[in-house]
Amino acid sequence: MSASMTKKLTCAAIITLFALSTAAAQTTAIMNGQVQTITGGVIENGDVIIRDGRIAQVGADLTAPSGATIIDASGKVVTPGIFAPISNIGLVEIGLDAEANDAGPNEGEGFALSAALNAVDAYNPSSTLIPINRAGGVTRAVSAPNAGDKLFAGRAAIIDMTGGVNSVMKPDAAQVVMMGFSGARRSGGTRMGAWATIREYLDEARSYAANPNDYVRRTREDRFALSDLKALKPVIDGVQPLMVSVNSANDIRNLIRLKNAYRLRVIIVGGSEAWRVGPELQAANIPVILDPMFNLPAQFEDLGATLENAARLHRAGVKIAFYNPQGFGAHNLRLLTQHAGNAVAAGLPYEAAMAALTINSAEMYDLQSQLGSLEPGKIADVVIWDGDPLELTTEPETVFINGIRQDLNNRQIMLRERYRDLSRGDLPHAYRGGE
Amino acid sequence: MKKLGITALATLIMGACSQQSGGETAADGSADTPAADTQGAADDSKNADAGIVRPPLDPFPSTYERYASDAVLITGATVLTGTGERIDGGAVLLQDGKIAMVGAAAAMTVPEGTATIDAQGKWVTPGVIDIHSHLGDYPSPSTDSTSDGNEVTSPNTAHVWAEHSVWPQDAGFTRALAAGVTSLQVLPGSANLFGGRSVILKNVPSRTVQGMKFPGAAYGLKMACGENPKRVYAERGGPGTRMGNFAGYRAAWIEAAAYKKSWEDYAAKYEKWAASEDEEEKEKDAPDAPARDLKLETLAGALSGDIKVNMHCYRADEMVQVIDMSKEFGYKVSTFHHAIEAYKVADFLAENGICAAMWADWWGFKLEAYDTVRENAALVYAQPDSCAIIHSDSDIGIQRLNQEAAKAMGAGRRIGVDVTPKDAIAWITANPAKAMGIDDQTGTLESGKMADVVIWNRNPFSVYARAEQVYVDGALLYDRADPTRSPRMDFEIGQLDNGYTGGAGQ
Repeated sequence: MSASMTKKLTCAAIITLFALSTAAAQTTAIMNGQVQTITGGVIENGDVIIRDGRIAQVGADLTAPSGATIIDASGKVVTPGIFAPISNIGLVEIGLDAEANDAGPNEGEGFALSAALNAVDAYNPSSTLIPINRAGGVTRAVSAPNAGDKLFAGRAAIIDMTGGVNSVMKPDAAQVVMMGFSGARRSGGTRMGAWATIREYLDEARSYAANPNDYVRRTREDRFALSDLKALKPVIDGVQPLMVSVNSANDIRNLIRLKNAYRLRVIIVGGSEAWRVGPELQAANIPVILDPMFNLPAQFEDLGATLENAARLHRAGVKIAFYNPQGFGAHNLRLLTQHAGNAVAAGLPYEAAMAALTINSAEMYDLQSQLGSLEPGKIADVVIWDGDPLELTTEPETVFINGIRQDLNNRQIMLRERYRDLSRGDLPHAYRGGE
Repeated sequence: MKKLGITALATLIMGACSQQSGGETAADGSADTPAADTQGAADDSKNADAGIVRPPLDPFPSTYERYASDAVLITGATVLTGTGERIDGGAVLLQDGKIAMVGAAAAMTVPEGTATIDAQGKWVTPGVIDIHSHLGDYPSPSTDSTSDGNEVTSPNTAHVWAEHSVWPQDAGFTRALAAGVTSLQVLPGSANLFGGRSVILKNVPSRTVQGMKFPGAAYGLKMACGENPKRVYAERGGPGTRMGNFAGYRAAWIEAAAYKKSWEDYAAKYEKWAASEDEEEKEKDAPDAPARDLKLETLAGALSGDIKVNMHCYRADEMVQVIDMSKEFGYKVSTFHHAIEAYKVADFLAENGICAAMWADWWGFKLEAYDTVRENAALVYAQPDSCAIIHSDSDIGIQRLNQEAAKAMGAGRRIGVDVTPKDAIAWITANPAKAMGIDDQTGTLESGKMADVVIWNRNPFSVYARAEQVYVDGALLYDRADPTRSPRMDFEIGQLDNGYTGGAGQ
């Protein structure tokens, strides 16, 4: 087992190194597509030149550099890759299979650590979810842990969807915490408990950070693990975003007060009633990662849930991005485009929906200078679609990550090919497809 | 999945349910007194004869009545009939709750003064039908108090009826209506080998469940393969394996067959007694009816074909074993639900006339859901005489069955399956209606059928499409442009500072 694992890793490493070295020399010219730059409007019959892993030029009537691989994108749509702002990608293969699910500590078992947990420790770049979602145009994702019995879930990482061994782009990209009813049920069953507990953690983390040597000598409650407090330092420093799962307008107002009191960087996840607090969120500069398909009073904290959440927040000037709350959507990040399409149908301007899939996620994690739009100098995560990316029957034809054209084959395609012909054949199905 | 977690309350409820399965009998569904106690004063030819005893087939009868409506002609639209036909520039006439005419707008003449909707640029389809819903049984809000969908107390709870858990005030019904859903089957959950009876509803708000029940629709039986029962019961007396699952099904079918026979024997004996001219025989009391058993009554109904079998089954190999089991006991599987691996055995399903109800792309939440392919529905559809269905199993998914069908269609087209909207619309209309046995009444736009009709603002296979108007039995029950035609459940009234919360299309 371990021998074969080592072997696999070695192979993957060699392949990645090979790919990276070819990327350095690779120049691609995508010509005559509808280029949705995101930050610079739409160029009909536009061109995108990719060189050395970066976007070199974007415009109309460009000349392909000599030696470039030319892709005719006429009739196609060219966009930046989809950037999933939260997910369990790489942490879960099978939801209900304990060994194939590292997304978070089991609930009810009282596992001691929380904020210290780090997605990169469990992130599996060989997960089949990565090529499956890459084939749906997802090029970048936040891999975030789920909470166990404690409020904090741990640290999320930003990964690229190459599946390579070096695909963790930014570890410690954010800390995740459960508030609202999710927090209450981890805090004695009351929101009071959740808010008191988060303040305690932040106070303890400050106290520890102010003087670690002094702190460890003091008599203190052992429920605050030192490693958790250490992990919260970038949060209390206001450097690392705190992704807060919260829904009701009331809880969101509390969160704004907390953010101001502790000078935190905050991203809301969920926010089913965020539209009710739109101007306050805009003033507090808090973005919201939401599910634009969620419109039911699933809990009392969701009474205001509406399909128009995205459109109303956008109108209020709040930055939004989308997620699929089913297991943070790890298996179906490829459906974020459908989510965006539904937001458009509920009144969100098309351009805002495209931004929510790309540049907004990048901005939430301070990566807007590198990702999220088609601009010279940015990392070349580029997707060529065979139609409107938000439409249900559209698929990516070509996906670039870090300027490298990606393999779009995956386990689902292989299974499909294996069983397209159900006749008995010369040999069993187990001998077919999958190569 | 998450639904399995909610066992504590179900355990409390169980006591009441199991007590009902004692030995009551009822004569012809109305007499309170057991037949044997009735003295034959009114009938001097036979002793103690109150007629043959039969368990009531419909003790909670539908009280659904269609709402009144004037005739309306929807004209100029692209009409997908659900029968595989697409009519550009088509028209549909709704009259007296029925579809009166369907055809080319130019060729249709209607009585002077008939209200007309100019539906140029719009699309018209049959009302959407979801064969797999838990609305009402797992309503919003989702709390312990309302979690009534899975009687997780025994591997065989064939005696429970989903309708007794349906909360008609579930806001989910309104959201589904705004998405064009006009009929749905509410099933018990999948924790058990035999989950219980389903109920088929018209998606029309009512104070009572009976007021929503689809008139005359057959019951369904929910069964479950694979992981769920063995996971739930592994440490609660079993089954703990897939072979245990099968042993459990078969033992129950054997018992059900004996029960069915006991009633048939009784009926034969009774007929013989009633017809007898022999003096000595006439003096005897009428034969005693067997004791009723709610669990076996449902299973016997499945064996006799009166109750449709809905089998939750992900894996290909298990589906084919279930087919053999159905032959062993002489019943028919109507539909495999969550048939993730249907594409691996699409030929078996078609040959045996079994429908596959599928998601477009859900996968990976458990190992038996690992082998999803997006072309699943299209590959099932591509078989001759097949029956592909897209289902939701979700209060969110039920609002986008058209989108799920679109994704599944698109994936199929990419690999060369010849399927277009006129065909794929059947996956969410005609085919579920067929599987549920209501296809003679709804599921297609054909004259004489219930006027369950959706007007979409554009091609419903687009992500931007929205249902604009939804008619059930000819009555306009949802109109996107008219807030007074948007139902709001009690739960959502007076919330959020008396603001306008909830309602269809929210």
